[in-house]
Formats: sequence, structure tokens, C-alpha cells
Amino acid sequence: MRVVGDLLDGYRIGTGWDEMLEPSHQPRTHYRMLFEQIQTLSRADFDERCGMRDRVFSDRGVTFAFSGEEERPFPLDLVPRIISAAEWEIVERGVGQRVLALERFLADVYGAGEIMRDRVVPRRLVVTSKHFHRAVAGVEPAGGVRVHVAGIDLVRDGNGRLCVLEDNVRTPSGISYVVENRRAMTHVFPELFASHRVRPVSDYPSQLLEALCAATPAGVSEPTVVVLTPGVHNAAYFEHSFLAGQMGVELVEGRDLVCRDNRVFMRTTAGDEQVDVVYRRVDDEYLDPLHFRGDSMLGCVGLVNAARAGNVAIANFVGNGVADDKAIYPYVPAMIDYYLGERPVLDNVETYDLDDTDVRAWALDHVDRLVWKPVDGSGGQGLVIGPQAADAQLAKLATAVDANPRAWIAQSPVALSTAPTYVDGAMGPRHLDLRPFALHDGERVWVVPGGLTRVALPEGSLVVNSSQGGGSKDTWVLARLIDDAVVVDEEDVADPAPPLLTRQPPDPGPSPGHQAAQQQQ
Amino acid sequence: MLARIAESLYWIGRYTERAESTARILDVYSHSVLEDRRGEEESACVRLLDALGAGDAAATIGTEVDALIAFVVDDPRYPGSIAHSLEAAWVNARGAREAISSEMWESINTTHATLTARRGGSAFARHSLLGWARDRAAIVAGLADASMSHDDGWRFIVLGRTLERVDMTVRLLSTRLGDAWGTDGWVAMLRSCAAYEAYLRTYRRGVIGTRAVEFLLLDRLFPRSAFHALSAAESVLYDLDPGPGRRGTASEARRLVGRACAELEFVRADELEASLPTQLGRLEQAGTEAHIAIADRFFHASTAIRWSA
Amino acid sequence: MTWRLSVEHVTTYSYSGDVLASYNEARITPTRDQGQFVLDHRVHVTPHVPIFQYVDYWGTEVCSFDVTAPHRRLVITGRSLVETASAHPIPDSGLAWDTLRAESTRDAFYEFLTSSAFVRCDDARVVRAAAELAAGDPTVAVRRVGEWTREQLTYEPGATDVSTTASGALDLGRGVCQDFVHVAIAVLRTCGIPARYASGYLHPDEDAGIGDSVTGQSHAWLEAWLGWWYPVDPTSGAPVDARHVLVARGRDYGDVTPLKGVFHGPPDPSVDVRVAIERVA
Repeated sequence: MRVVGDLLDGYRIGTGWDEMLEPSHQPRTHYRMLFEQIQTLSRADFDERCGMRDRVFSDRGVTFAFSGEEERPFPLDLVPRIISAAEWEIVERGVGQRVLALERFLADVYGAGEIMRDRVVPRRLVVTSKHFHRAVAGVEPAGGVRVHVAGIDLVRDGNGRLCVLEDNVRTPSGISYVVENRRAMTHVFPELFASHRVRPVSDYPSQLLEALCAATPAGVSEPTVVVLTPGVHNAAYFEHSFLAGQMGVELVEGRDLVCRDNRVFMRTTAGDEQVDVVYRRVDDEYLDPLHFRGDSMLGCVGLVNAARAGNVAIANFVGNGVADDKAIYPYVPAMIDYYLGERPVLDNVETYDLDDTDVRAWALDHVDRLVWKPVDGSGGQGLVIGPQAADAQLAKLATAVDANPRAWIAQSPVALSTAPTYVDGAMGPRHLDLRPFALHDGERVWVVPGGLTRVALPEGSLVVNSSQGGGSKDTWVLARLIDDAVVVDEEDVADPAPPLLTRQPPDPGPSPGHQAAQQQQ
Repeated sequence: MLARIAESLYWIGRYTERAESTARILDVYSHSVLEDRRGEEESACVRLLDALGAGDAAATIGTEVDALIAFVVDDPRYPGSIAHSLEAAWVNARGAREAISSEMWESINTTHATLTARRGGSAFARHSLLGWARDRAAIVAGLADASMSHDDGWRFIVLGRTLERVDMTVRLLSTRLGDAWGTDGWVAMLRSCAAYEAYLRTYRRGVIGTRAVEFLLLDRLFPRSAFHALSAAESVLYDLDPGPGRRGTASEARRLVGRACAELEFVRADELEASLPTQLGRLEQAGTEAHIAIADRFFHASTAIRWSA
Repeated sequence: MTWRLSVEHVTTYSYSGDVLASYNEARITPTRDQGQFVLDHRVHVTPHVPIFQYVDYWGTEVCSFDVTAPHRRLVITGRSLVETASAHPIPDSGLAWDTLRAESTRDAFYEFLTSSAFVRCDDARVVRAAAELAAGDPTVAVRRVGEWTREQLTYEPGATDVSTTASGALDLGRGVCQDFVHVAIAVLRTCGIPARYASGYLHPDEDAGIGDSVTGQSHAWLEAWLGWWYPVDPTSGAPVDARHVLVARGRDYGDVTPLKGVFHGPPDPSVDVRVAIERVA
């Protein structure tokens, strides 16, 4: 291939792991084709594609509201992040295993509490979790599923091994951007898709709908599913609307629902229609004024008792936050052993339970060498990166940790991997993570091939969260190759197209030339 | 469909039509005054504002055309302003995005964004805004018809649009009460409804007041005639709720609209002008009552409740 | 000796206008453990609506119901026939402090050893009292905490309300059984003795004859864990015996509220509560 551009000339990697280049600066096998193809583009070419991407997004209204700001188009970096088929198999197994362990944990802590009785997880951590909701103790969720949708955040350590940074089993978001990013990329870089076999992500909405329908209360053959949104002012409203539209189900707000006698109804023009499954994107605290915040206008009174009575499925179920509580995270490998009798496929990042006096003392001694996270932070807020923080900030942190150790965890810093990202007209390495999305229908866990890769746009920054100004990349999982032939999963194969019929061109109507000729006679 | 969405679609229909009609009326009015300043502006201005429900503001605005346009286009004190109507349509569309086509949404969204940018401009800018607003609203209405299935969602839009048309026609005709008008006045009136050419093709003779009134109230073929709009509304109400009614008041809206339609259908043309005040009064009342009956039947109260403990 | 008691608990809400909807939970069903047998129990609501029953996290039986027709009065009636447990005499010695302070015990009873909504264990007065009273055997400490509580608070209805915390009651020096229990629990927990709030009904007359229906009360006491959950009445200091009917347990009043709910209507209803108890055997 003719190298035209110099986009990758200045690309230098540090000592950390780069997704594209090996330490020798040679491209990794699965990146080789992309590496060559990018070099056929000049900077002007690339800028032009960026313009095209912006148009595609603004036409479709793909936006995100960054904290405190107005809606802006979602930032997508045009260099895709590629994951080999072999590595993805590990991710699938690891994420699936994790979701199943968390499911068992939730059923246990809201039920018999055996893992606490057996002192594998301290009871004190569970009962002091802000998201441990006693209102759903003893409740059997419909279909036995609590974690219908999970987003398990993965990062690569300095040795290139993927490990789990954080679990998200309450209302993980971002899948709509995964689908929209892919769609934009196919418009902007069709030639890249021609040279790679990328597994599709567009069937997520239909898979989600199937999983939701599988979680239906018993005896309902054609369940009525709704997506419950806080409304147009919510930062993730685009995603709520997107998913409802793609699944073909109603998008409702709390005020459209009413509970009567432990059944849930939505107000329609034809009267009240019973609802069987609520895919809710409203937090627990706002979901039911009877059991949670009485001043919430976003929920539906009586929803929890309707689920308790077995008349409605809530996805994801109430109270899941105790499983993705950061203070519980260090115990997930123990859960995998306790419930599944397995060793974790994906490791945790080394994390310290600060409620233990000795551990806390040691951690505070090394305050500037660890990463400190508030247990209740989301979107990277309140994060303190010890090696990068000022002394005054660290002192304040130490005081806060001593005052309320349950509210913090400390982790060993992970040197997140980097990948080439186009910033200010040049390709430079930027740190990134990966959020694969998993669906659980009660029988198996299906992981979307790909997921949301989030990129920290400022150079050297390790904060990738979208609400803090991060970017994203399209994530490509390559299909497996056996003996040079592409092995495609059965689900990925479309039926062969029927043969085309020969068609006549459309009727052109009366010919203007014909009339002109007449006039001249 | 969700009651809240149905209500939003109904209001999109109403607001879009309102914006279009108001823009057209004002456009015609301002051109006719500018072309032919014969000193009638003051009373015409007052009557126009009165018809648009802004009679109180007449004193403060004066009779300058520019002031009038500024007021009707985007004065925050006037709830029927063009800017308010387009903004309200946008707010409703935002909450009902899944029920309208993406093209219709993009059109409403673009209109709103442009309007925000164009507000508060010079007098010239506001003049050109009138034509622009009229055209944008027409695009939205056209997209509703062409890119939505003609299902219940579309029917609510049509319902809003037709009831708003009846309302507007009644308001316009009410500016003519108690006055003998010259031909020019009637021509302006017909243009305000985009009806001038249609009138000429129908009657093939000059414009006379009695016939103009007849055309705007009784014509079966012209979309902005009160009769046509009412029968379109009745037809849509029938499709929305064909049954004899679940709770006794189910067909109340259809009854009201149907009755108003029938009253127009059987009135004698020669009686029409003499009884014009009565006719207009009846139409106005029918429109108001039908609006309430529709809300009652289809929309319920879907405001969020603040609970007490 | 056990008693057989018939209890009727009627709560009436009266509103100044129509209530369009209300969603409620009642915790007024006597428990079926700790030696107490419930022979019969019914909950009835006017306007008449179906009732859904479940057991909550603390083991309390809950009756939930919604009223979605307009109404101006809501009456909740609970009637039960209960065979109550006889008193357990306080043992002279039992558990050692070592067992109580073991990590496994502290972890198992964590929720009953720490502050909760109405009970702050870090209140200076509570900390001081715990330091003094925790001498000797844990069972001795339990008795002394009860005595100390009665020294700190005078029984006076009306001085406090349902939202008063333990610290608030100590500020006032007065309160009702709810406040006595919150204060005693605060000190017991700070001593390291797991303590939980118990609510129910009390027959006021220890010499009650059979067949006299008297006005009873909703009453609160506590249970302290000394190897088993031992009931203590800090308000009276008397043993918890057959006159006490146990309904609910939790960390504090917030977990056992007899009636809670939300409604859509004119606020601040007037509330009337009557408890009638009759000894039938």
C-alpha cells in the first residue's frame, strides 16, 4: 500500500502497553491492516472524514449532555480500537462469569445471607451500603433475574492483561453510543470495514428485548414492555429514546404509570393498559415514593410492591447497587469461588478495604502512591490519583478517609493502555478503557461483541468518563479465522438475499423535446 | 398510545397551524396596509389584535405596522405569538420524539434552532420571518402527512390542526362584524386564509362579501373553510373512537363537532350573512367545548403528582 | 404464665377534602415467635380494598394496600387474638464481654451495634454513660442502662413527637416509651451489646380480670442480645411479660412505623388512634 500520509510518523509510545504498537514499534498482528491503511491518508483526508462524522451525528441528533453543559454531539475518535477474536473469548467468559457471580450474590444478600454467615463477605459492608435496600429483602424477581444489563469496565495493566476496574449493574449506560458509533464509522470509513471482518453490534436492541421478555412474570405470553425514563432533561435521554424506539416499545415517564392493587398500568388513550416489564433508567432512590424518596416525581408509587407480588418485572432489579458498591468490589473474586467454584477469568485491580484499621493505616502511609475513589462517586467524580495530586489535596483526602473509611477505597494505580487517537490534527497515544455490555436472560449471559471504549482526550490523563469530557472509539471485535476462512457465529449470518428480478426503469412521462419539436413546425 | 404522547401530538398540530395561520395573517395584513395607506390602519390594527386575543395590548402597541409585527412575532407578553407557538411545538415534539418521524423531528428542531437565532432582529428581518415561519410550519405539516402512518398518532395531529383552523377562521371573520367592507378588505381576508385563488376558481366572478363569507364557512372543498375543517375533525374523531362509547361521554367530542358541522351544512346561504354573529358564536363555543371533551376523553391528567406522607 | 388477649387497633385518618389516591403499609400484626402465638388476626380497611401481606427485612408482617377511589376518611382496623409469652427472668450471669466483642458477633449484629436514624451512638452523653455502665457482667449492664435511662427521662406525653431522636429526648429530659427505648438502645449499643427496638401493645393492668375491655396502648420496649434476644422495658423497668403483645422489631421507630404511606390530597389529616385490649383467658 502506498504510504501517502504521515499521520503515524510522530506516534511514539511510552513504557506502557499500547493497543496498536508493540514495544518495537511494529504493529500488533490484529492491527497490521489498520496501521497500513491509516498511512494511506493525509491529514486533510482525515479531517474531511472527521467533518463527515460530525454531520452524520448532528443529523441523527446523537448528543450527550456533559455535566453542567448543553447537549453536544458525542465525541467519537475515528481510529477504531481492535480486539482479536482470541482475546474476546476471554472477555466473554470473564464477563459472563462475573455477572453470574454478582447475580448469586444479590439473591443471597437479599435472601438467606449465606455468604455473610460464612464470613466470606463482611456483613457490615453489605448492611452499610447506601444501595442495600431492605425494601426488597425476600422478594423473588420475575424470572429470577436481577441483572438484566451489566456494564463491566475493563482496563489493561502494564503487562497488557485485561482486568476488571469496576462493575456496573444498576443502570449502565452507553450502549446507544456503541451502536451509533458503529453506524457513523461505516459511513465515514467504509473501506476499513471492507478489509476487516468486524462482528456486528446492531442486534443489541433485539437481544435486549428478548432478555426482557424472558424475565416476564409467569403466565404472560406476550409481555408489555416499557422503558421508564426520567424525561428529556436527563443526560442519557437520547439512549432511553433510542432503545425504546429500536425495541419498538413505549417510552414512558413516571407520570404515565399508575399502580393499582399491585399491578402496573400505563395511561393510554384507550384506558389503562397493564405493563409486565419495566426497563427502568430511573435510580432506585427515585423509583417508588412509598419506599424511597417521597418527593420523587420520576417514579411510580407501588412499583416495588407490584414486583413483590410477582405482577411486574423490573429490569435491572431494585437494590443491585450493593453488588457494584466499590467497597464490595474487592470481594468479587471470593464470590466467584464461593458461588461458582471457579477461579476468576478476569482479575480485579488490587484494591484495599479501608474499613480494616491495619489496611487503612498502611494505605494512608502510601497515600501518594495509590488511586483513591469515593464509594459513592460516579463518572469519575471525587477521584484522587495519588501520584498526580498536590500535597494539600492529599492531606484533605486523608482527613476524609479517617472520618469515614467506609466511604472510600484505595487501589493500586493501573497504567491504562493507550491507542492512537486523533487530537488537534495529530495522532497521539491516549489512555482508554473498555465497557462491554452483557445481557442476562436467566439462562445465559450474552456479551455484545465490542462495547464502549472510552478515551481520555487530554494527553496523559487517566480519566476516561464521558461526563468528564472523555471521548470514545468504535470497538471492533474481529471474527475468528480458522485456516484463513472467517468463522462467523450463527447469529451473525444473515439469510442469503433472494435473486433480483429484472426491472424496467420508472416511467419518464411526456417528453419535453417532443413538444418543442411540434412548436417549431 | 400513551395519553401524554397523544396530547403532545394534538398540541403539535394546534401550535403548528397557529404559527402558520398567524404568520400568514400578519404577512397579508402588513402588505395590504403598506400598499394602500388609506387611514384605516388604526381600526384594522385594533380589530386584528382583538381577533388574535391581544386586544388589551392595542393601546400600548399603537398602529405602526412594525410594532404590530414585533408584538405578534415574539413579544413575550403575547401567548399566541409565532415564536411561542413554534417553541411550544418544539417542546411537545421533544417529549414525543418516538411518535413522529425523524424527518419531522429534524424539521421542527431546525425551525426552533433557527428561530432562536433570528429572534429580536430588525424590522426587515421580522418581515421576512413571517414568510419563513409560514413555510416552515407548512413543511412540518406536510411531513406529518407524508412520513407518518395515518394511525392514531397522526389523527391527533390532524385533530389539533383542524380545530385550530376553525378557531382561526372564526377569529378572522369576527373582524368583519358590523362593518361594510370594500372589495380590498375581502381580498385581504381571503388571502389571509390562502383562499383567494381558490375563491376565484370557485366563483369565477369578483369578490363580494357575502360570497367570501359563504366560501370561508361553508365550502366543502377548501381546507380552511370551517365546514371542511369540522368534517375532517369529525372523521378523525370517528376513527379514534368508533364505538358507541365506554363511559357515556366517549363520543361527546364527536357529538359537539358533528353538531356544529351539521348546523353549517344546513344553513341557507342567504341567511348566512345576516346571522353571522350567531354562527360565529356557535362555532367558537363548539370548538372550545370539543377541545375540553377531547382532553377529558383521551388525555386524562398525566401531570406528575407530588405525594404527601 | 401466659395470657390470651384480644386486641383491637383502629386508626382513622380524616381529610379536609377528597384524597384521590393513597398507598399505605401497616405494621400492626402480632409476631408469631418469641413464645407468642397468634390465634387469629385480621386487618380491615375502609374504604374496602384488598390487602397484600408480606414479611419485611426485620421479620415484621406488613399489610400493604392502595385506595384509588376518592375518599375523605381512611380507617384501618387490626383485630387479633394472641396468646402472649410469659416473662423470662433476667439471669444473674450469662454471656461474657469477650463473646460480645468477638469480631464474628460484632459482624453478625452490626446493624444493632451502630447508630441508626433515631439513635446516635456518638452523642457525648451516650458515650459517657456507656463507659460508666459497662462495668461488671453484661446482664448487669443491661439492668443499669435501664435504670440510668429512667433517671435521664421523665415520662411525659406531648413533650416529644414521633420524629424525636434519642439525642433530642436527652435534650428535653422528657418523653414517652419510644424515647426511653431510643435512649437505652443508644447506650447499650455503645457498650457493645446488640440492642433492637420492639413495638407492640401493652395491657395496662397487671391485675386484669377476664372480660374487661380496657383502653390499651401502643407500646415500645427493647430487646438486648445476651446470647439470645432478651426483652427489656426501659420505660417501666418492669419485666416484659404476658401483658406485652409483640408486633414489630427493627433498629428504631423508623423500621416499625405502624402506618406509613403517601397520598394525593389535602395535607395534614387529623388522626385518631384507639387501642382496646381485653383479656379473654
